Amino acid sequence: MPMMTLQFDLLRGGLCKLSRWISDTAMSSTSQKHKEFVAEPMGEKPVMALAGIGEVLGKKLEEHGFDKAYVVLGQFLVLKKDEELFRDWLKDTCGANAKQQRDCYGCLKEWCDAFL
Amino acid sequence: MASLSSKSLQEISDLLDEYGIKHGPVVETTRNLYVKKLKEAMTKGKKAKPSSDKTFYREEEEEVTYVYRTPTRSDISGDGGAYMRSRPEWTEREYEHETSYSSYSKPRPEYRGSDLVDEPYMYDTPSTYKNSYSKITAMKSEQQVPKAQKSSRLVPLWLQLLFFLALAAFLYLVFSNMEINESIKGIM
Repeated sequence: MPMMTLQFDLLRGGLCKLSRWISDTAMSSTSQKHKEFVAEPMGEKPVMALAGIGEVLGKKLEEHGFDKAYVVLGQFLVLKKDEELFRDWLKDTCGANAKQQRDCYGCLKEWCDAFL
Repeated sequence: MASLSSKSLQEISDLLDEYGIKHGPVVETTRNLYVKKLKEAMTKGKKAKPSSDKTFYREEEEEVTYVYRTPTRSDISGDGGAYMRSRPEWTEREYEHETSYSSYSKPRPEYRGSDLVDEPYMYDTPSTYKNSYSKITAMKSEQQVPKAQKSSRLVPLWLQLLFFLALAAFLYLVFSNMEINESIKGIM
């Protein structure tokens, strides 16, 4: 029956959505910003596209010369992707709190795992 | 104390090594961070100069055996002496483990010999040093991997697997009840 092909497509689509839902609920929650950032090369995205970096922190980073996400990436790499060093640096440079530090570090780390 | 801000990048890098601080390249953007770390290390009074070697060793005799026993751990820092000096609290903890480790290593051959024999006087020692051994490995693995994060699951793993199996069974049922026709044969 020709109808079966349509049902198979629906099943396949449904399965994809289902697997994504399972992974989302099962793993520790990451924000929408994080997911969007790690999904593709960062290109010329502004520094505020980083997870954990909002308007206030973004402005402070820009004042220090970190105007694009890739510049912060550069700093992350120069600090050898070390969590403690990067989080300390972020705190010193823009005054990020623990959660913001964690989100930004996690975001960059995952991006590097996928694209670097 | 010489002014840190007047030091060159290479000098800051050397100082970081002396204090056993893990670091990346010292460049203009990382300079301030490392200077801050050095100031913290200095105010904490961590001894970084090699001349204080002897005083440290005199304080704890076990230190010597520990350095010989696990050269790999001191190799990680690149400078075993500085690593020891900069983390006195950590080595003190290890000291307890080292004494229990040494005491554990001695009865071990005896244990192996009487493994299959159920001797009442041996029964106590295996359990006690099993505990200390598991404690040691737990502590060591904890320290070696202090940054490992436990992955928290909202949906338990067995539930996910059960769900997956149910889904697979359902799909198989659907597939097996299909009526094969020409168009499907072309795809499959």
